[in-house]
Amino acid sequence: MTNKAFFRLNISKGDLILRSLSLFYIGLLIILPIIAISSEAFQGGLDSLWKNITTAQAVYSLKLTFFVAFLMGILNIITGTATAWVLTKYNFPLKNLMNALIDLPFAIPTVVTGIMLVALYGPKSLIGSLLGRHGIEIIYNKPGIVLALLFVSFPFVVRTVQPVLHEMDRDMEEAAKTLGAKPLTIFRRIVLPTLTPAILTGAALSFSRAIGEFGSIAIVSGNIPFKTQVASVYIYGELESYNTQGALGVSVALLFSSFIILILLNRLQVWSCKHETR
Amino acid sequence: MLWACQGEKPVGRTDEVTLTLGAYTVPKEVYQKEIIPAFQKYWLEKTGQSVKFEESYIASGAQSRAIAAGFEADIAALSLEQDVERLRENGLITHAWKSRKHNGFVTRSVVVIAYRAGNPKNIKDWTDLAREGISVLYPSPKTSGGAMWDVNAIYGAGLKLSQVEKGYQDSEFAKQLLKSIQKNVKVMDKSGRASVTTFENGVGDAIVTYENEVLLRQMHGRKMPYVIPSATILIENPIALIDQNVDKHQNREVTKAFIDFVFLPESQRAFARYGFRPVDKTIAEEFLQKFPVPPYLFDINYLGGWSGVSEDIFGPDGAWTRVIEELGRD
Repeated sequence: MTNKAFFRLNISKGDLILRSLSLFYIGLLIILPIIAISSEAFQGGLDSLWKNITTAQAVYSLKLTFFVAFLMGILNIITGTATAWVLTKYNFPLKNLMNALIDLPFAIPTVVTGIMLVALYGPKSLIGSLLGRHGIEIIYNKPGIVLALLFVSFPFVVRTVQPVLHEMDRDMEEAAKTLGAKPLTIFRRIVLPTLTPAILTGAALSFSRAIGEFGSIAIVSGNIPFKTQVASVYIYGELESYNTQGALGVSVALLFSSFIILILLNRLQVWSCKHETR
Repeated sequence: MLWACQGEKPVGRTDEVTLTLGAYTVPKEVYQKEIIPAFQKYWLEKTGQSVKFEESYIASGAQSRAIAAGFEADIAALSLEQDVERLRENGLITHAWKSRKHNGFVTRSVVVIAYRAGNPKNIKDWTDLAREGISVLYPSPKTSGGAMWDVNAIYGAGLKLSQVEKGYQDSEFAKQLLKSIQKNVKVMDKSGRASVTTFENGVGDAIVTYENEVLLRQMHGRKMPYVIPSATILIENPIALIDQNVDKHQNREVTKAFIDFVFLPESQRAFARYGFRPVDKTIAEEFLQKFPVPPYLFDINYLGGWSGVSEDIFGPDGAWTRVIEELGRD
């Protein structure tokens, strides 16, 4: 063994330790619990698992969950990108304070978020009673769920897009401008492609956050089966009524479908990264 | 060393003894303000020993599961019979807790309908909740033992009313009554408390809840008028000593004394002041004006006991399950 080879081995040893440590950490913190949930859920066999997932109530709650999470994702992409844009491109008084406020939803217990939304938009509140007179219901109906999700996941898109916008080369924009491109064209052809990977990351984060959200939804949704009951609240109900298998079945369905959606988003992101460099 | 030391003293006779109470949330106030201080005084005078209480108050089902999972409560004071039964099935309770006087139940209540001040929607009985345009609240029976009582009350009232009118229990009529009320349910909260809070937040024309819950709110100056439906269910709340934990803590004597204590007239009166119907007959007579007995009162046995209910009402083919599915399809 030459000195050189030994040296190389030494480096890869440290590398190896770091790698296995981080893998061990991911395994312990994420993979192990997922395996535990899945193996519990599969305990009754594939048939009973399928039965648990396909009860009418479970199917509805899963559909509703993905529907509201998707809707929220779209809204977050638009508002989050716009917020990041405003915060990086413009100067205005109290900008730093505004910037600090963005992260606040993460620090608030989601149950409090629910209570706050009920106080603001509930049937007894000023806004809620005004809207109620026109037949518009927010709290204890689907709009309330989307509103709660928007609040708890607000920072994701903003915080992933912001640094990219910050680092972005202004030269290309300027060049396009000199060549006579309209602002919308510049945004669509130059800014947006650069931002897309970050936007998708933010959207994926907020989407998965939304699928698992419980605390705020339990308060604002009304929890009526086949109307406003989302999967997390359904799971909670089944757990509380000793139908552990039913709860685990839907949890696994939620887990795997989120996993697939995250992989797809990841792919899309990789694709858009490649697309951009070309 | 430790064992030797304990051997020198007579077991369970120290200056201080600790009692752990695992209870549900509703009777928290009466235990903390009335019964526990009274018992501490009583036991100190009787034995010279001071009793230290460790108390936990969470939802009945959650408390039962916590105790089953290893929370070492000496006493379980819960809302539902089957929450205590679970501890017996688990082997934590080894005595026949239901064979004592009053079948192991310490307090009673009934399911009532509370409405808005002035009763603008003129709500008097179950059938009024089934009217179109009325919005009703009760929690989800999936998460709330209280809601199971609520649904039992409605379904049982349907049986009872059909029995009175037609001479037989019409389960189809009962299911229809449940369905038309469930159709009007606006929000199904996690717990009875959460449901009352939602009602106070301005949602709903009426709420189905326990009599004691409403009386407690009234005691705190809230306006919450209510009506006792002509047919409703009698709720009974159990209390039991948990043998395994008591043996471990070597405090059986004082634990037993506490459980006897809650059945004494003074404690029963305290419960009554806080809105619970006393199980003691003579005390119940004293409070007859506060707690009138509705004409068609029935108890859980009318519905075949909890095993009957978990099959006929909440089972996969039960009335409530079918109502929910039918409403989902409509």
